[in-house]
Amino acid sequence: MALDYRRCAEEIVSLIGGRENVAQAAHCATRLRLVIKDNSKIDKKKLENVDGVKGMFESNGQLQLIIGTGTVNKVYEEFLAVTGMTAATKDDVKEAAAAAQPAWKRALKSVGDVFVPILPAIVASGLMMGVVEALGKAIPTFAETDWYAYLDMVANTAFAFLPVIVAVSAARVFGGNIFLAAVIGLMMVHTGLLNGWNVGSVDAINGFFGVTDGKIPTWNLFGNIKIGDYVLGSISRHGYQGHVIPVMIAIWFMSKIEKWLHDHVNEMIDLFVVPITTVFVTSLFTFVVIGPIFATLENYVLKGAEWLVQFPPGAMLMGAIYPVTVVMGLHHMYNVIEAGMLSSVGLNTWMPIASAANFAQFGACLAVGLKCRQAKLKTVAVPSALSASLGITEPAIFGVNFRFMKPFVCGMIGAACGSVFGAITKIGATAYGVTGIPGYLTINNPGVYTVLLLISGGVAFGLTLAVWKEDNDEIPGAKVDEPKTTSTPMINEVQASKSSGEVPCDNVVISSSAGEIGQPTKGKIIPYTEISDETFASGVLGQGVGIIPDEGVVYAPMDGEISSVADSKHAIGITGAEDMELLIHVGVDTVEMKGDGFTTFVSEGDQVKKGQKLMEFDIAKIKAAGKADTVVVLLTNSDDYEDLKLS
Amino acid sequence: MKEFKYVITDEVGIHARPAGLLVQEAKKYSSTIMFVKGEKSAKATSLMKLMGMGIVKGDEVTVTVEGDDEEAAAAAIEAFLKANL
Repeated sequence: MALDYRRCAEEIVSLIGGRENVAQAAHCATRLRLVIKDNSKIDKKKLENVDGVKGMFESNGQLQLIIGTGTVNKVYEEFLAVTGMTAATKDDVKEAAAAAQPAWKRALKSVGDVFVPILPAIVASGLMMGVVEALGKAIPTFAETDWYAYLDMVANTAFAFLPVIVAVSAARVFGGNIFLAAVIGLMMVHTGLLNGWNVGSVDAINGFFGVTDGKIPTWNLFGNIKIGDYVLGSISRHGYQGHVIPVMIAIWFMSKIEKWLHDHVNEMIDLFVVPITTVFVTSLFTFVVIGPIFATLENYVLKGAEWLVQFPPGAMLMGAIYPVTVVMGLHHMYNVIEAGMLSSVGLNTWMPIASAANFAQFGACLAVGLKCRQAKLKTVAVPSALSASLGITEPAIFGVNFRFMKPFVCGMIGAACGSVFGAITKIGATAYGVTGIPGYLTINNPGVYTVLLLISGGVAFGLTLAVWKEDNDEIPGAKVDEPKTTSTPMINEVQASKSSGEVPCDNVVISSSAGEIGQPTKGKIIPYTEISDETFASGVLGQGVGIIPDEGVVYAPMDGEISSVADSKHAIGITGAEDMELLIHVGVDTVEMKGDGFTTFVSEGDQVKKGQKLMEFDIAKIKAAGKADTVVVLLTNSDDYEDLKLS
Repeated sequence: MKEFKYVITDEVGIHARPAGLLVQEAKKYSSTIMFVKGEKSAKATSLMKLMGMGIVKGDEVTVTVEGDDEEAAAAAIEAFLKANL
């Protein structure tokens, strides 16, 4: 009997909690792939019995129903018809699955992703502008030279055309065509439109448009239909210089349109239809809707932020929570505010807060470095402090301050004090992303800035010296990991000095001409032949050692790349120098625990340094599940090395 | 070249132990044996790559075998999959 596709689809929908419970739906050759909002609403038993469903399982946040080749697409069509959903590609479904994190968090991440890659342009222009302005102030005659005029032009280019840069960056984040995005960005600063900076100037408006009433003329594309004072579809003839948020939204919109068109337009005419339609629709929507709304919104946000940072209690609060947002990886959202400030008023008054916060972490970390007696901690704290003084605080925060907590809090207090001072003196910078000592190159008042750094760093340093005490039991010596999600682009260059002080890894367990492999987990070492599992003990998977763990932590036993992380989180593969392929398998048969009791800190493709924390596991849970907790460390390609030595 | 598809039925998929056994099996033959799942692929002789594919129950893998002993190798791998996975 042929399958009743409609009925099959209807039954599926009813058993997965209805249309409201489906976030995304797609299909592959054999399976219907669904992203479900609330898994508890799924009636799994009945679902497996639906006529046409051959099997089901959940994987990577997707509910996958095996339906079969040739039929799945028909059921899928009916599924869409029943639910009224639109077709999603497999990518969409993957994205939605990855999007298990809350929407606001993803949005903030996108913002960071847009504004972080453009940092080189901002820094180049900002530094140049800072230096040129400082020279102009210091040597008044310089301000009249051709050099000054020329360098001023060079320096402000990035800011004058910032919407174009933002547009291109946003297109890369949102998946749109970067050239079409450049067109949209350029359009928003087109010379045929009144410069966005002159919107408030009656003289400039009169001069530009040849009018006398100081009002910006409009294009009324849809005639003169009025809703109150608003003329439907009218476009005010000014550009968006000085704005970043409307650009980002416009490109987000453009990317969606473009993607939709690519999916729905016949390939033969794709090249003719998609670009022109994308640009036409996006431009119209940008100038009529997105521009006016988000430019206004951005003005309010910037006004609010400017007010906040110049209002001492507000600045104090921001300074205090700034390091917390760094820990949460949310600090890149400030870049929007900073870019907006630079773009609109040319002065980044947010920077003193960031600088105070970063320099306070430097102070706190330095205090730890000077006070501690442990050599290991010293070698971490001192270089981390130096890096923090240059504005790169992650090593100091994650490697030292946050780990002991007290220095971190002292840093927050120092930041709050420095920020208040910054608010009172109202200093600002000509770039963003540059804080600490390099901040001198962009700040508009070096003298005041020095005091700000001394206050924030000094308070944090003094407090930390007074409050923090070295407690030998408290120092595991190995918790200097550095969550990837919170790293800034600069951190890549700073291989934080974290691997120097690890405890178990200095003990070499496997060595050959190819290199040495340390002990990944603290505990008693046993020969692999004594591991209580035939497969491991037989050496089929390679030679190595077993470790009866004292502590449920796995550190990287060598530098290398993570080649695999089991879905059930109990096993990690690392490829090291000379193609050494190492398998770290925690426990025996622990695959059956399906990840319960295991936490991994790396994912496939990550580069790891010896001593970096890879995984935590719960020894008690493994034992409770009736499994052996032996950590199996095997060089899976041990056959390739003749001079292998095992401890 | 020989090619066949197989849907994994084992509860936990290709994890360390079956992967190790699979590698042993694959090493017996001179042919190049590839496992393909979606965009990911791995040589059947590379334990790390195999495990990195994250093959779980219900996944359909495509196996391609190419070489002098491809007939025998393909038959052996297929038999191995049916018996173990």
